[in-house]
Amino acid sequence: MGSYVIRRLLRTLLVMIGISVVVFAFVRSIPGDPATALLGERATPEAAAALREQLGLNKPWFINFGNPSNPLDAQYPRYVAGLLQGDLGSGLKSNIPVRDELASRFPATAELSVAALLFALLIGLPAGIVAALRRNSAWDNVATTVSLVGVSMPVFWLGLLLSYFFAVKLGWLPPSARLGNETVLEPITGFYVLDALLRGQPAAAWDAIRHLILPAVALGSIPLAIIARITRSSLLEVLGQDYVRTARAKGLAPRHVTVKHALRNALLPVVTVIGLQAGALLGGAVLTETIFSWPGLGSWVYDAISLRDYPIIQGGVIFAALVVSVVNLVVDLSYAALDPRIQYR
Amino acid sequence: MKKLLLTALLTTLPTAGAATLVYGANGDPVSLEPGNITDGISILVQHQIYDTLVAFKDGTTDPEPGLATKWTSNANATSWTFTLRPNVKFHDGTAFNADAVVYNFSRWWDPKHPQGFRNQGRTFEIWGQLLGGYKGDATSVVKNIVKVNNTTVRFDLNKSSSVFPEVIGAGYFGIASPTAIKKDGAKYGTPASKPIGTGPFIFQSWRTGDRVTLAPNQSYWGSKAKVDGLIIRSIKDASQRLNELKAGTIDFTSDLTPDALRNVQADRNLVAVKKPSFNVGFLSLNNRNQYLKNDKVREAISMAINRKAIVDAFWNGLGVSNASFLPPVLAWANSKDVPATYKFDPAAAKKMLADAGYPNGFSIDLWYMPVSRPYFPTPKPIAEAIAADLSAIGIKVNLKTEDWAKYLEDRNKEPGFDMYMIGWTGDYGDPDNFYGAYYGPTASDDINWNPAELQRLLEQGRAAVGRTAKARVYGQLHEITYKANYRLPMVHSQPLAAARTYVRGWVPSPLGSEAFNNISLVGKR
Repeated sequence: MGSYVIRRLLRTLLVMIGISVVVFAFVRSIPGDPATALLGERATPEAAAALREQLGLNKPWFINFGNPSNPLDAQYPRYVAGLLQGDLGSGLKSNIPVRDELASRFPATAELSVAALLFALLIGLPAGIVAALRRNSAWDNVATTVSLVGVSMPVFWLGLLLSYFFAVKLGWLPPSARLGNETVLEPITGFYVLDALLRGQPAAAWDAIRHLILPAVALGSIPLAIIARITRSSLLEVLGQDYVRTARAKGLAPRHVTVKHALRNALLPVVTVIGLQAGALLGGAVLTETIFSWPGLGSWVYDAISLRDYPIIQGGVIFAALVVSVVNLVVDLSYAALDPRIQYR
Repeated sequence: MKKLLLTALLTTLPTAGAATLVYGANGDPVSLEPGNITDGISILVQHQIYDTLVAFKDGTTDPEPGLATKWTSNANATSWTFTLRPNVKFHDGTAFNADAVVYNFSRWWDPKHPQGFRNQGRTFEIWGQLLGGYKGDATSVVKNIVKVNNTTVRFDLNKSSSVFPEVIGAGYFGIASPTAIKKDGAKYGTPASKPIGTGPFIFQSWRTGDRVTLAPNQSYWGSKAKVDGLIIRSIKDASQRLNELKAGTIDFTSDLTPDALRNVQADRNLVAVKKPSFNVGFLSLNNRNQYLKNDKVREAISMAINRKAIVDAFWNGLGVSNASFLPPVLAWANSKDVPATYKFDPAAAKKMLADAGYPNGFSIDLWYMPVSRPYFPTPKPIAEAIAADLSAIGIKVNLKTEDWAKYLEDRNKEPGFDMYMIGWTGDYGDPDNFYGAYYGPTASDDINWNPAELQRLLEQGRAAVGRTAKARVYGQLHEITYKANYRLPMVHSQPLAAARTYVRGWVPSPLGSEAFNNISLVGKR
């Protein structure tokens, strides 16, 4: 097990290096460069060329063949040298260090993703289980229909709808943002609900939770639907297995059979899906964050792409890749707890 | 004694009706460092923190005293002397004086300035664009910046410019505390620093992607803020900005889409605010294209487009179409000999096209921008309407678009686009800012048509003193460009803004941003 973890970590490192190279080449292959994007409608070719030189974007990407005395005078080696010192560069126009911005943006996205996943699990799991146990009942039909709608509904549309209905029409919840105008909260971890509790500000915690509900529901709608469907079909499959029938035949209580025998096995694919969804949530957060003015990773990188702000795109993508790798690692390890038959090699 | 106590008590009590003012902006500021930004949100936030030497009267483009109380030039406008407002302090308590002015301007202008941080990606691009170049450049408008005494600064210019005070009054050029810049170094203007100006509001905090929080400056030299605080929130989605306004979580906002007008008008808690137009959205026709080279073809195209119908349909009454590149507030610089609006006559256009040798028309590309801009809120349907008008006279239009950054780059790369949509929003209240951007010496070469005569007129316009003299020069420019039909103005849009009914005293500036110190909240919540 120990050597497996080390090997997995090494593999993660290799993946990260690969991703950094790919991202680096990829952002530079997107047509249109930062200079014209930053200068906007006012860009003249001369001004753009001057800016490009100033930002060092006229240097080669990986190796500077034109400079034999220092072939590493290229964009990638310089970036990696900075990276090794913990320097991810700064936003091209804003001059805000990418590291600082990551530190404030990631917790926002993580808080939202966790809330969305919790929402998806709390509703999706029971709905899937009930649907499987009461197959072809009204419950099942409702759950199947709702999950179909959930998957098909575009997140930005659902988000605006939720916001209009619950904030504008009913006035129950705030339309967007992480905190109300009057709430003052000094962040510690960046998870506002947690920070408010740590600071002993229950009112601020409640405010943060209220702001979290609508975006979490919007973001969680698709994972909810997927989790409900996977749970249902996986449980149905397991319930048809011989060992379940055997257990029943032995006269075990139906509740015991469902929970101890069937559910435990049925949850394996669900855990895989949750792991995949955790990665998808990071990506799916882009639209939700934009609609709900949520200052997270997704909306930040998204804006940077239209501005071709290379350091932000690189830092954001590499970091997100790291998070997804770690989540996958955790998912793999958690298999053991659920199914002792899985071997580590 | 009793009376004294009462006075003390009254002054410490919050003013009745005061509350925090919340503005919904369509994004985050890029930086809070003056001179190094070009985006509207940065300018708006900076407007609250910093003052410029020259200010503009509420709701107009007419200059008025700012941090300078008066300014005079020599006879040929090659030297401008500014008298500075005395006893003004920066938010950090340091004195505003001639040294501070020279420091700020040198930073933008002089590439060798020690706190210019140009080695760290600082560009001060807008200075170069509005003022020809930097210290050492042959094209630089500024020759020298001189401290005459503690309250007087003189700018010597390389060529005469009667608009110089307006240019440096543009929202980009807020005066910051030199002490603060030296202290924070290259961090100045980022969320990790505290931007320090002399303006009506004092910076408190900036949570990127979320909000900037400001407090009123109790010792402001001008009209003091009438609210307890100001929050500028970043809400990128226009529908969500409207939701926030309707829910009362923000007090006022700008940049709503034209189709939100009816929604705003139907809500009795809201007031629609049509901002004065200070932009132009236009079509550029490329002289490199074999058909568009032909004067008659361009005229036929211009006559075939029903501008009024298009503006009515897509701007919801929030725009005007006229036959000028200049927005209505600069109409004084238009020629009297040019008709007020373009002629729309498809039959005549078809005949003209036949005269030009294309009775059966031809096929051509029209590029529309992939992003929404105040002057073109919904570019694609607008482009479709233009294409429909042109097809009526036999010109087959292929609609094309691409990513915005690429679009901006490709239009300047030979051969450029045949026809494309683009626009301009003004920085300062002078025709030079509009014509100069597209016909000046540094204008982009997207249409392969920029005659020397226009350059000469632009020089004359910059040197001319007084509206009468300027109107004579820009009137000629208007006539030439009108007849040439290379850039076809489509619209001067009025950006839609809205406020809760309790918001009083908001006078939006045509220049796009203004300080919010005169706004009060009467009976909020």
